[in-house]
Amino acid sequence: MLFPTLAFGVFFLFVYFTAWSLDRENGRRKLFLLLASWVFYAQWDWRFVGLLIASAVLNWGVAAVIARADQAGRRKLWVGLGVAANLLILGVFKYYGFFVEQAGELLARVGWERDLPLLEIVLPVGISFFTFQGISYVVDVYRGRTPPAKSLLDVMLLMSFFPHLVAGPIVRASDLLPQFDRVPRLTREMAAHGFLLIGWGLFKKTVIASELSVRLVDPVFFDPSAYGALDLTAAVYAYAVQIYCDFSAYSDMAIGTAALLGYSFPRNFDQPYRAKSMQDFWRRWHISLSSWLRDYLYVPLGGGRKGLVRSCLNVFITMLLGGLWHGAAWTFVAWGALHGGVQVIERLGRAAFGDRKVIPTWIGVIVTFHIVCLGWILFRSESFPMAMEVLAGLGRFEAATMVTPFLLTLIVGGLLMHWLPPRAVEGIATWLKPAPSLTMGLLVGAALLLVEAVRPDGVAPFIYFQF
Amino acid sequence: MTDRPDDPDTPLAPFPTALPQSPFPPLDGETAPYLEQQEIEAPPAEAVVAEEVGDWIETADAHDLPTAPEPVPANPLLALGRFAFPPGEPPDEEGLAARDRRWTSRVIVVATVFLLIFNIASVQNWTRQQAPGWVTTTVDRLAEVWSEQMASLGADRPRETVREGYERAREARWSASPLAGEGGPEGRMSGTETQTR
Repeated sequence: MLFPTLAFGVFFLFVYFTAWSLDRENGRRKLFLLLASWVFYAQWDWRFVGLLIASAVLNWGVAAVIARADQAGRRKLWVGLGVAANLLILGVFKYYGFFVEQAGELLARVGWERDLPLLEIVLPVGISFFTFQGISYVVDVYRGRTPPAKSLLDVMLLMSFFPHLVAGPIVRASDLLPQFDRVPRLTREMAAHGFLLIGWGLFKKTVIASELSVRLVDPVFFDPSAYGALDLTAAVYAYAVQIYCDFSAYSDMAIGTAALLGYSFPRNFDQPYRAKSMQDFWRRWHISLSSWLRDYLYVPLGGGRKGLVRSCLNVFITMLLGGLWHGAAWTFVAWGALHGGVQVIERLGRAAFGDRKVIPTWIGVIVTFHIVCLGWILFRSESFPMAMEVLAGLGRFEAATMVTPFLLTLIVGGLLMHWLPPRAVEGIATWLKPAPSLTMGLLVGAALLLVEAVRPDGVAPFIYFQF
Repeated sequence: MTDRPDDPDTPLAPFPTALPQSPFPPLDGETAPYLEQQEIEAPPAEAVVAEEVGDWIETADAHDLPTAPEPVPANPLLALGRFAFPPGEPPDEEGLAARDRRWTSRVIVVATVFLLIFNIASVQNWTRQQAPGWVTTTVDRLAEVWSEQMASLGADRPRETVREGYERAREARWSASPLAGEGGPEGRMSGTETQTR
């Protein structure tokens, strides 16, 4: 059940009115939201609802044991076991095939060819997200950053809550568990913000991302050798806009949907293409993942506390594993290595020049954006040879055949939206808040009508669903 | 007469004989003026402030002077309404929350009704893309009847107008483009997996 579908609209209306009709009893309300979340998840594959429940029970149990353990050694042992169990689930479902295939190739190269047990394992949607959420809960309880949940129901809802379940944002226990303690308060500001985010997200996904994907990116990346530099360049820029509009749209709609149910999610994007360095980019792109990687990978590795060389190594390893998190393929590892490598260069540059401004901001923005685009070529390509074909084609000058004025407008518009005022949606929500419900309802209806009128029939799944 | 020996015999009145206390500290070496003693005896600041200030200022224009606000005539209907239906107690926290929830629910209902009137075509599109079943068949028939009714009222025009304008913009080509007039890049497109909405 995708967000921009009629089925989800009907589902959400039912959930909204039922949840608020249960506002006198928080426990029943949470139970209803949990059941609704399972129904939502079961639309993809009902069998994996069991996995979701098992994962929640595992993390709830481990956190409860950690909270009751007196000795530091035992607490450490349990947190290690909890993290390992979560990684095992992720590894089996997401990386088993990849690692077995790589091991088979390695053995064949050294002359020990074996038939390794390859299994066709279906990847549960959103497994990377709910597994990371489980790890963060267990580690936060271990570190004392968050108390253990008061009930199993809370942990289950934390991990299964449908707005963030399949593609984030990765909401930490410390953010969401306190909100589960009582029936949330829905303010007009939250509601106005939610309506705007849902409308804006629908537009970004169903109009910008879908049009660019179907009319430019997919055809060009399907056979890059058939196109010249202009088409390929446009396709790469278009993919940069597409992936931003696709993923940020999902986050916007998730945040908006949760807001209408009274819950507040953290911000996940902050105009990433206006970043002036790669470090800045990761403070603006998929913020819930980058902060997760910082807190649960970079800092435990030593962070920046052990000298320049070690901090460079740590950031490189973090980005490399961040790349692998996105998918079980070497192109994703290379994408992570590119981002890590550039961040290492930036760190060395800062160590050499200090805080002196060596290059102007606008040059930094342009250079960072193009490095990010280079990374998107690896990210979008199904294999290294295809990525190489795209890169080689960038030097082959031929007339553009794919780029129309409409597509160019979408690309330019998708980039220019990064230069809107940083909190434009919040500002408009505050401005609209005092409007009467009839006016607001007509505005929301008209905005949705506009999007519905122009969107193409059908909607492709969100890119980040595969992760 | 004054208390100072060097004061003139003629009283200085009607000029002021007491200066209000300066809000600023004295400068280095500055001695208190001859009215030092009187300053101590000066009336308290409130009394000075309370004195009626004359409205005659040489440099002032008459238009600068403050005027009393015009009394707002009471609206008799409003007064009657307040008498008949006195305003209730301001809502408490729970009341405010309930009011905001009602506002949100009304927005959702209005938007849904608006879309059912002006965007029923989306429901038809959706039902046609679903696997046949009693739910989709029933919804499709209902949507068809409703759509005809709305079309007879012209409620489908806004959507169609926007759609037509959008299609024209989408099909526009550069004048020198080899694809101008050939139906656009779709001919070179590969199929893309889409999930029906």
